[in-house]
Amino acid sequence: MKILSMFIITILFALNITAQDANKLLKEVDDNLMPESYESIRKLINEESDGSKKEFTFYTVKKGKDKIAMLYISPASEKGRSTLRLGENMWLYIPSANRPIRITSLQSVVGGVFNNADIMQLEYSTEYGATYSKGTDTENILDLKAKNKTVAYDKLKMWITKDKKILRKVEAYSASGMLIKTLEFKDDKNYGGGITRPSIIETYSPLYKGYRSLMIYQTIKKRQFPDEVFTQNYMGRLGDLKK
Amino acid sequence: MKFSKWFIFVLMFALSAVVFGQEKENLPITEDEQEKKLEWNGNLDVKYSLFNMDQNSAQYKLQFFKDPPSTSLLSQYRIEPYLNAEYRSNDLGFVLKTHASYYSDSNSRFDLFEAYASFNPSFNTNLQAGKRVYSWGKGYAFNPVGFVNPVKDPENPELAQAGLLSANIEYVKSFSSEALQSFSFLAVLIPTSDIAGTSFGEFTNTDIALKSSFLLWDTDIDLLAYYSVNKPKRFGFDFARNIQDNIEIHGEISFNQNVEKFTIINNSLTNNRVDRYSYLFGLRYLDASNTTIIAEYYHTGAGLSKDEYSQYSEFLKIGADNLNSIVAQQTLNTSLTYFRGTTLMQDYLYLKVSQPEPFDWLYFTPSLYTIYNLMDNSFLLSFQMSYKPVTNTEFIFWTTMFVGDRSTEYGGKQVQQRMELWMRVFF
Repeated sequence: MKILSMFIITILFALNITAQDANKLLKEVDDNLMPESYESIRKLINEESDGSKKEFTFYTVKKGKDKIAMLYISPASEKGRSTLRLGENMWLYIPSANRPIRITSLQSVVGGVFNNADIMQLEYSTEYGATYSKGTDTENILDLKAKNKTVAYDKLKMWITKDKKILRKVEAYSASGMLIKTLEFKDDKNYGGGITRPSIIETYSPLYKGYRSLMIYQTIKKRQFPDEVFTQNYMGRLGDLKK
Repeated sequence: MKFSKWFIFVLMFALSAVVFGQEKENLPITEDEQEKKLEWNGNLDVKYSLFNMDQNSAQYKLQFFKDPPSTSLLSQYRIEPYLNAEYRSNDLGFVLKTHASYYSDSNSRFDLFEAYASFNPSFNTNLQAGKRVYSWGKGYAFNPVGFVNPVKDPENPELAQAGLLSANIEYVKSFSSEALQSFSFLAVLIPTSDIAGTSFGEFTNTDIALKSSFLLWDTDIDLLAYYSVNKPKRFGFDFARNIQDNIEIHGEISFNQNVEKFTIINNSLTNNRVDRYSYLFGLRYLDASNTTIIAEYYHTGAGLSKDEYSQYSEFLKIGADNLNSIVAQQTLNTSLTYFRGTTLMQDYLYLKVSQPEPFDWLYFTPSLYTIYNLMDNSFLLSFQMSYKPVTNTEFIFWTTMFVGDRSTEYGGKQVQQRMELWMRVFF
């Protein structure tokens, strides 16, 4: 009995160490993807099943673990719209209405395969706990479980290179285990300031057959912002930061 | 004297906000930030409308008593250019938003929606002066706390509208606390030009509107007030919160002191001053198939009761049936001046359902909405289809029907059905 107890304790201890290692790796993945506070310009291309495309360009600013704001730069029909995410709170600002309205993280403001949670992604390690899954010779695979129910996807499976710890693929699953979408991270690019990361995220989903979305990072720059930039009051003035 | 105290309080707060805000003004300014830029944008709306009129309604008879059309099917064709300019530098800005409606060379109108300058002495503080739009409240279709808002069209709540000639200062502060995450305070001064026939106004009639906002325990909360010497004094509270990752709830309540309420008594216009509450409760729900549902209950205390509406309806009928054109014109003027708007009575339900790209219809967003008058069971029902085949172009098909007995609010409208086709091009 004593031997059995010691065996169980040893197993539990080993599992705990493994979970700690997995979460540490997840944090490193986050750090390799983005600085904690930054500004970036990125283009989102929605490719429809008939081959036609719609493009959006966003200016994004982020600070810390839970503050991110995004401004539509183009097309003209969307210009001036902005979204703000503070933890699980999210708002959409429409210039003609001149006020922010609360929206849900699941809502899509641009159509296509990406939803708000993808576009306004916080750090993975903030929203998920990780454990190791069986990897390959060149890649570690992590299983991620949402820390709370307000996160858009209940589970993620993540492929990470063993050498540089760069993210290569994410599969997003619902609580019932259904595959919702796949994100592939491609074309590593040096953005300066010590930031080298995949410049393109390609997304497709079995729920949107024939659709494909590409997110292309054009610039990423470390930058500090005051907290007041991440308030509803500032949503109509986000463009001031860019100029 | 009361006014002076308010004024001094606002002024002191404004000055302290500027000084306090400047404490954080130590961030490096990059070369890009120093670049100045003037940007132009806008859109052209071309709108064609068909109306099926109720030729027996009192409102129709009054509207067309001089020259009644030979058919009940009327059309309208108009263009509406929106032209906006925005100039921004480090801490200065200028915003210009214009709108025009053109029906013909002899029938066109220009509106200055917004024209204001802004100065940001710090990230915390923002000063604005000129004509600008305020949008207070959390409601989608109605805003009982929208004390300084333009009159909202619940049929198209996101439509740009004309602002208010005013000056304001806003102070914002963020906190790293789990409870209170941010706080802001906005003070608005609204001078008047109320001396008839002149461009002058009495200084003491300057109105003040105040708004304090809190993000407290993940809930948006606003406390609002409007102070005026000769207009109603108003106090309000609103909130919004996500109770689940796909459900948002919101509410507003306002107390309005000394509101001028117009009614018809014995076929004559009467007004009296009343104190009334108005309130709204609503939710926004997103289901798994991306369908958005917005539902709101709206009560406006100063609206007409069922009996008061009956008397107003009878007043219109008598005016419409009168053969004297002066009486008809006076009745029409009374109606347009004191009883205009989409919601004249007290209790309404608003429901909107929209579904982007259903059945794999690319670029289509159909939506269905109703405004239901809970007092007389009349309603309007509207179906809208938006189609965006290419970037910066939108086509809208929009049809609306008004349902109810002729003695009811929506059943008594001069329009029975309306169909609109819009083409919008953005640049």
